[in-house]
Amino acid sequence: MAAIPLILISAGLLLAFKMKFWNIGAYGQYILGAMFSSFFALHISPHTPSFILITVMCLAGLVGGALWAIIAALLKLFWEVNEVISTLLLNYIALYILDYFMHGPWRDPSSHGFPLSKSFAANARLPILMHHTRIHLGLVFGIIATIVIYILIKKTKFGYENKVIGENPTAAKYAGINIFRNTLIAAGISGGLAGLAGMAQVSGIIHMIQMELNADYGYTAIIVSWLAALNPIASFFVAIILGGLEAGGYQIQMTMSVPFGIVGVIESSILFALLGGELFKTHKLVFGREKSHHPIQ
Amino acid sequence: MENASESIVRLHKISKYFPGVLANDKVDFDLRKGEIHTLLGENGAGKSTLMNVLDGLYMPDGGEIYINDKRVKLHNPNDAMRNGIGMIHQHFMLVDTLTVLENVILGIKSEPFYINKKNTASRIQKISDKYNFGINPFLKIWQLSVGEQQRVEIIKTLFKGARVLILDEPTAVLTPQEADAFFEILKKMVVEGKSIIFISHKLNEVMKISDRITVMRKGKVVGSVKREDTSKEELAEMMVGRKVLFSLGRKPLEKGREVLRLENVQAFNDKGIKALKGVNLSVKSGEILGLAGVSGNGQQILSDAIAGLKNISAGKILLKGENIAGRSPRSIARMGLNYIPPDRLRTGLIPNLSSVDNAILRCYTCDPVSKKCFIDYSKANNFTETLIKEYDIMVPRRDAPVKLLSGGNMQKLLFAREAAEKPEILIAVHPTRGLDIGATEFIRKELVKQRNNGVAVFLISEDLDEIFMLSDRIGVIFEGEILDIIDIKNADLEKIGLLMAGLRDTPHNPKETSAATH
Repeated sequence: MAAIPLILISAGLLLAFKMKFWNIGAYGQYILGAMFSSFFALHISPHTPSFILITVMCLAGLVGGALWAIIAALLKLFWEVNEVISTLLLNYIALYILDYFMHGPWRDPSSHGFPLSKSFAANARLPILMHHTRIHLGLVFGIIATIVIYILIKKTKFGYENKVIGENPTAAKYAGINIFRNTLIAAGISGGLAGLAGMAQVSGIIHMIQMELNADYGYTAIIVSWLAALNPIASFFVAIILGGLEAGGYQIQMTMSVPFGIVGVIESSILFALLGGELFKTHKLVFGREKSHHPIQ
Repeated sequence: MENASESIVRLHKISKYFPGVLANDKVDFDLRKGEIHTLLGENGAGKSTLMNVLDGLYMPDGGEIYINDKRVKLHNPNDAMRNGIGMIHQHFMLVDTLTVLENVILGIKSEPFYINKKNTASRIQKISDKYNFGINPFLKIWQLSVGEQQRVEIIKTLFKGARVLILDEPTAVLTPQEADAFFEILKKMVVEGKSIIFISHKLNEVMKISDRITVMRKGKVVGSVKREDTSKEELAEMMVGRKVLFSLGRKPLEKGREVLRLENVQAFNDKGIKALKGVNLSVKSGEILGLAGVSGNGQQILSDAIAGLKNISAGKILLKGENIAGRSPRSIARMGLNYIPPDRLRTGLIPNLSSVDNAILRCYTCDPVSKKCFIDYSKANNFTETLIKEYDIMVPRRDAPVKLLSGGNMQKLLFAREAAEKPEILIAVHPTRGLDIGATEFIRKELVKQRNNGVAVFLISEDLDEIFMLSDRIGVIFEGEILDIIDIKNADLEKIGLLMAGLRDTPHNPKETSAATH
């Protein structure tokens, strides 16, 4: 199920995008979230009650992702470092940190040299919601996150301030809005949800931590939130559709030997069409010389 | 036209459409040789569109252009130049880091590849001497004053052989004295056989300089009159389409208590240059203190500093006796200081958000619009609705972005929002800049209403008419210093104009009280 991480990540991303904090580092935040939660899955006794361990892992995922995004936010706030650059570069740092742990301390000695950890114990796995599927408790997280983000954006002062900062930071300053605090919170929530998605992936699907975590969801989620026009409810459904596309991609690769890359091609074509279409909201196409609407003479 | 044969330029039934707007509707206009013909109208009346058609920047959708009775098609400004027409835009088209000479020859195709500087310079010098411009061709543009830069623009067009000059609101950047000097130049040029089209919306200067005046309203010509046959009142009525009231309903001044006091306030601008060099002033409740000055003398930093948007490097800003320097904009606003910033779209409003979102920018933190961390949008809607009714703001749809409103309605919304906070002091910077006469009248009346209700109003404006019309006392800022503050009873245009140019008869500290020194 690709939909669950997409729901979580894009819910967070659109909050950041609303305030024009261009977080494209969900990839790295996702990895950090997966690693923070895996730490507890691997090091806490397998006899801990599942409820407690899962809660701790969720919090760890949130904190890990949030920290990674807040680094970029602080760089922006203190030294005006462009967050597009910093979040992108932090992705690589996250990837190599993961690389170190997977080839070092966390590698399962019995993995024949593959960069895999031990499988998580049963108490560190998210419960499956429906039999014979892989839909796990993460879906509930996704629904909650969508609702919370929706309320945050549409009903709260924070959402309003967020919007004002995004549209006109000068006016925000003029109105006395605390840009520093709001940026940190939005970046934190955005990264935190990406981290939670990472946690849901290792705990709900893979049941171990490995090099291949499908962190690319972090990029797909950018497409999701734009397709949804930054509306949290819409993004929930778009995530399910694009999630289906991703899942279908694996299927066609296996059954029809169509390369999986075609999914990326389709997704990015959609995004290009969407961004290109923006132009026509404000401009119209005229062939030849435009005839005046009013009669002359 | 009875004198059609004398016309050097004749526009016949020019029409120009923009999507949804009829900018020029069959406009007739003619310019005779050796006259100053003013094109008068409010913002958006179609003056600039018409002149851009004549300058070749726009192709008209209908109508004909005759130059010396010959029909021409102008596809670009070079075409216009070949026909002897040159336009001087409101915003100068000069390269700051180049010399006057380099700017003048920029883009002239007939100049040889190797530039004979001596020869060219002497030709520029000749033009400069002829009209007493006093411009040295080897100085860099940034070394020149705004008035001098404007003269360079004129040299540019004359150098290319213009016989007809189009001047788009040339006096907007000048002090009254500079403007008078500028008018002398224009008169001299006319004597030398040039013809001038003068675009303006300032009635005083129009009456001073024009031979004929053509008034435009909503894309149409309302009428053409000779200067001798008309009056300011008549022109204003033609411009607006109804009688304009010049009275604002001021109550006699009551001496109030001091609300705001600035002591030796200093601040640096973004370039690190000291933009405020020790400003002292005070504003009392129930009065309007007007601050006059040519643009760029520290007005914006001063207002930003008072509102808490800009840090000051020294001095004290006392609001009701408390030093607010260094406090946050919100805490200052909560103490009863509201601010109408100079640039409504950049600072005062959020162009892409709805009128509701803009209306609650101040009050979203307080009752009744907000509850704990939530905003009650139905209360917010009601609040916006009252503002819209009370201030008669034309808002087609509540959820449409405010950038779609007209300038006047935007400013009304901004004003309404700030006034709804029931300020004790209101700082208004260029509150009517770019607005049509109707909206200008409205905003000015509201400012006087605030004053009559006991609010201290600090008005910063580059529009001297406005300053004189509204203020109880007039201060003048020049290069970051308040040169003097004069009671309205003792102020006259000349005195203020000299101060705006930085001239004061004796160097002394700014005087708070009136007339002591003069």
